[in-house]
Amino acid sequence: MPSRRHFLQRTALGGAGLLLAPLAGLHSCAPGTGRGHIRGSLHGANHATGHLLRAPARMPAPTRTEQVEVLIVGGGVAGLAARRELERQGLDPAQILLVELDEQPGGNSRAGRNGVSAYPWGAHYLPVPDVRNRALLDFLREAGVITGFDAASGLPVYNEYHLCHDPEERLFIQGYWQTGLVPELGVPPEEKAQIARFFRLIDELRQAVGQDGRDAFRIPVRESSRDAQFRRLDDVTFAAYLDEQGFTSPYLRWYLDYSCRDDYGASAAQVSAWAGLHYFASRKGHAHNADSSDVLTWPQGNGFLAEALRHQARSALRPDTVAFALHDTPTGLAVDCYDVRTRLTTRVEARRVIMATPLFITERLLATLPPDAHRALPCRRAPWVVVNLTVQGLPQGPGQPLSWDNVLYGAESVGYVDAGHQRLSLSDIGSRVITWYRPLAAPDPIAARRQAYQTSYDEWVRQALAELETAHPGLTPLVQRADVWVWGHGMVAPTPGFVWGAARAAAARPWQQKLFLAHTDLSGISIFEEGFYQGLRAAQQVLAARKPAAS
Amino acid sequence: MDKVPVRRARRVASEDALAAARPDYRPALLLGSVFVIATCGLIYELIAGTLASYLLGDSVMQFSTIIGAYLFSMGIGSWLSRYLGGSLLRWFIRLEILVGLVGGFSAPLLFVLFEYVSSFRLMLYALVGLTGVLVGLEIPLLMRILENRFEFKDLVSRVFTFDYIGALLASLVFPLVLVPQLGLIRTSLLCGALNVVVAGVALYRFPETRPFRRSLTGALVASLLALAVGFGYAERLQTYTEGLAFQDQVIYSKTTPYQRLVLTKNQRELRLFLNGNLQFSSADEYRYHEALVHPAMQALPRARRVLVLGGGDGLAVRELLKYPQLESIRLVDLDAGMTHLFQHNQMLLELNHRALLHPKVQVINGDAYQWVRQDTTRYDCIIVDFPDPGNYSIGKLYSAAFYRELERRLAPGGWVVVQSTSPYVARRTFWCVAHTLEAAGFTTLPYHCYVPSFGEWGFVLAGRNRHWRPDAGPLPAGLRYVTPATIRDMRFFPPDMSEIPTDINQLNNQALVRYFEEDWGPYVH
Repeated sequence: MPSRRHFLQRTALGGAGLLLAPLAGLHSCAPGTGRGHIRGSLHGANHATGHLLRAPARMPAPTRTEQVEVLIVGGGVAGLAARRELERQGLDPAQILLVELDEQPGGNSRAGRNGVSAYPWGAHYLPVPDVRNRALLDFLREAGVITGFDAASGLPVYNEYHLCHDPEERLFIQGYWQTGLVPELGVPPEEKAQIARFFRLIDELRQAVGQDGRDAFRIPVRESSRDAQFRRLDDVTFAAYLDEQGFTSPYLRWYLDYSCRDDYGASAAQVSAWAGLHYFASRKGHAHNADSSDVLTWPQGNGFLAEALRHQARSALRPDTVAFALHDTPTGLAVDCYDVRTRLTTRVEARRVIMATPLFITERLLATLPPDAHRALPCRRAPWVVVNLTVQGLPQGPGQPLSWDNVLYGAESVGYVDAGHQRLSLSDIGSRVITWYRPLAAPDPIAARRQAYQTSYDEWVRQALAELETAHPGLTPLVQRADVWVWGHGMVAPTPGFVWGAARAAAARPWQQKLFLAHTDLSGISIFEEGFYQGLRAAQQVLAARKPAAS
Repeated sequence: MDKVPVRRARRVASEDALAAARPDYRPALLLGSVFVIATCGLIYELIAGTLASYLLGDSVMQFSTIIGAYLFSMGIGSWLSRYLGGSLLRWFIRLEILVGLVGGFSAPLLFVLFEYVSSFRLMLYALVGLTGVLVGLEIPLLMRILENRFEFKDLVSRVFTFDYIGALLASLVFPLVLVPQLGLIRTSLLCGALNVVVAGVALYRFPETRPFRRSLTGALVASLLALAVGFGYAERLQTYTEGLAFQDQVIYSKTTPYQRLVLTKNQRELRLFLNGNLQFSSADEYRYHEALVHPAMQALPRARRVLVLGGGDGLAVRELLKYPQLESIRLVDLDAGMTHLFQHNQMLLELNHRALLHPKVQVINGDAYQWVRQDTTRYDCIIVDFPDPGNYSIGKLYSAAFYRELERRLAPGGWVVVQSTSPYVARRTFWCVAHTLEAAGFTTLPYHCYVPSFGEWGFVLAGRNRHWRPDAGPLPAGLRYVTPATIRDMRFFPPDMSEIPTDINQLNNQALVRYFEEDWGPYVH
């Protein structure tokens, strides 16, 4: 098996490695370990293609040109939402082009599928949204997630097949699966009192309104209050804030740390108190047939939403295409796009460009433009590893039966979700796919990323199974497949000062009515709603910029 | 308990020329063996008695005859002991290995024999007799071994003390610890292993065994291995052992990918169990199936198409075929093993009147939820006969979302009827089903009937039509339970089963499964 480093070198040398990508996916576990029967694939999210960006000079020169009104670079949720919004506002689909470096769009909402089930590779749920988020509700209505609005209350009625079915969550603690993720079993009374106090605080913060009349915590983040009393919370870490507030219960602290790792890929000691509280206090969903704690989910996770966004627009979407150089022109921007399948470069001449790429890529691409276009927004990005296990059965311990979200108290991972949870079939037999998530929330994300790329397929599978065996003894022989995805760059972590810092606001500003930015990095919180909002905002900026030109 | 024999052993040792300074613990060991032997001996007897009453029924008779046969065989063993001569210790070790094997494998053997042997009773008593004879040999033999090491009065006193203490221990440990923790098969194998261990201790602790140590070691190790292997396979063997839960003779059993089907029979009735839960008894199933089908059907004199969900036994279809105006009956049951059984087994064909082979009947083996979602036919009547909502997967088939799908499949003026567990035992569960149907937009008519083998059982009739008459159409001739008067009666709920408020069963909040667990819990555990 070629080493990962070797593989990357080859990839960087001229894209030849891409031909090997499917081969590189064929792996098996080490013989004689009890895992020898397990086969599967090892994917590295777009880094194979993405790292082509490191040597733009080696890319072939353009052989053809193409003109569009708007070019969108990046087919994650923000890019797809921007594409959809431009068309909804009447822009000619023939004048829009989206390029995506991966072979399929979706970004962190990407999904996979095998003979047993579809399954997520990343984000896998959407909380029932705030009804004030009309644009999001419109999208969900169009996607069939909302089936109508209740005549009496006006509240949305959600498709019951998309609302997460019961039983939703369970936690493996003291050798028992308890209901819900907040530790209860064996928690001493004084710690229970602290937990109750924390949730009372959250209830207050959920209601809290700043002097500017805005909610203290909202989704999207930009709608939150700018009141200093809340913004101050962005200056300290969540851990320091909890210490100061006397929240010292180890059980509570484990739960809060788990929540941060689950949502941000970083620990409570790494994210800001504002972000740590936002996770809880921003949940303000209302629905006719669900409440704010309910979530929407699909076997393929948010791949469902990414697909819906994609299908709600008609303009060209070009996968396997790397935008590697931007040039300023009198009429707009020229973008060199390399097609990794044909190995040809096209120069796309666009009047306006929406960069819906992660900031570390945007920074690199904008470096060739005049200095006032440059961006510098240092952000911490946590690597993740996701393992999809196809299993013939899941030996159960005592307590609540298999649920949608299954978390192990004190584990390195943030647990697993059952891709078959929304299944309507009676049969609890046959195979199922479970998706195990582990954020690599090390103090140094760059070292963690390097370490992640060097870890072998067998080692990831070993780690996942070693952990799962503690709750499911005898699982290993039942594993039919294990597919591993290493997200080298994962997602942005809202470290202190990031969400409310000046750098973030500066990074989001458009340049010369030509260049617009859309990405959850610009929100500081990587969730579907923020990606959707970012896309919408950028599309609206583009449309606003067009108007004087059109008149 | 240790103290006495040890002190006593010292005194014996001083008289013994064999060991001058070192205390002789061997008599104590042999007395310990008496204790183990006595415990195991009684457990074999209890196993045989329990098994016989489980498998053959009539526990007073079975226990009584098993105990009698066992004690009598022990008498034979005691009498035979006089013919044993030569090295008594060697006989004792051989005997323990043999008791270990015969007693140890008695439970698994009986379970297997029950499945495959017609004259099970004979085999049972033969095995009980053999075990009894071997166990009967043990104590006389041990007393002869010990006779030179104790005074006679001490010997008798000690041996029988340990014998009876062992018996007490066995009678307590067997029902309280062993059966609940290990089950009958593993208990039996464990006792067998203890007997072999006793043989091993004797073999290695007594120098006089040296000449035959080598030859017996092989037998000893092989026996222990065999028992250990049996212990490992006990789980698998347990699948042969539904007999445990059933009072009657098991005449058919099969594990399909979805469930375990067991059919039992006695002089009076045939019973079907799915995963150990009674599905019907041929003696009174007519009450259940008439109550399930006719209140809805008599209101639909012009019904043409009917959908049956679940009900792979064809008994609801048998009732439906009493309406000649029906053109097609479609039955969707997940388990092909179930429908196949009721299409081929002669006794069951007699029971369901070959309903599933009727030309108007279409049998589909598939998931009801999936089927209903992709179906485009509209039915005049939909009969829902699912298992009770005992887990979250089945609970989805009782959800408002599922009932809305049924609503889409219902022809104008049609009726849905849902079996809804016992309104007496599971009052909240029953009313939750009714309320969930109402939440899905139906008007409901709950009713119940008494089925002796089930108890009080409930159904909910649901339709869009607000006008339902209990005597709209003629009932088929020859019904044994349902009449217009019965239908009126069935709709009356006495105060102990009357309507109570409940939550609605939703996919994202399965109230029903929790109600069911709480309502039935005290009856099951």
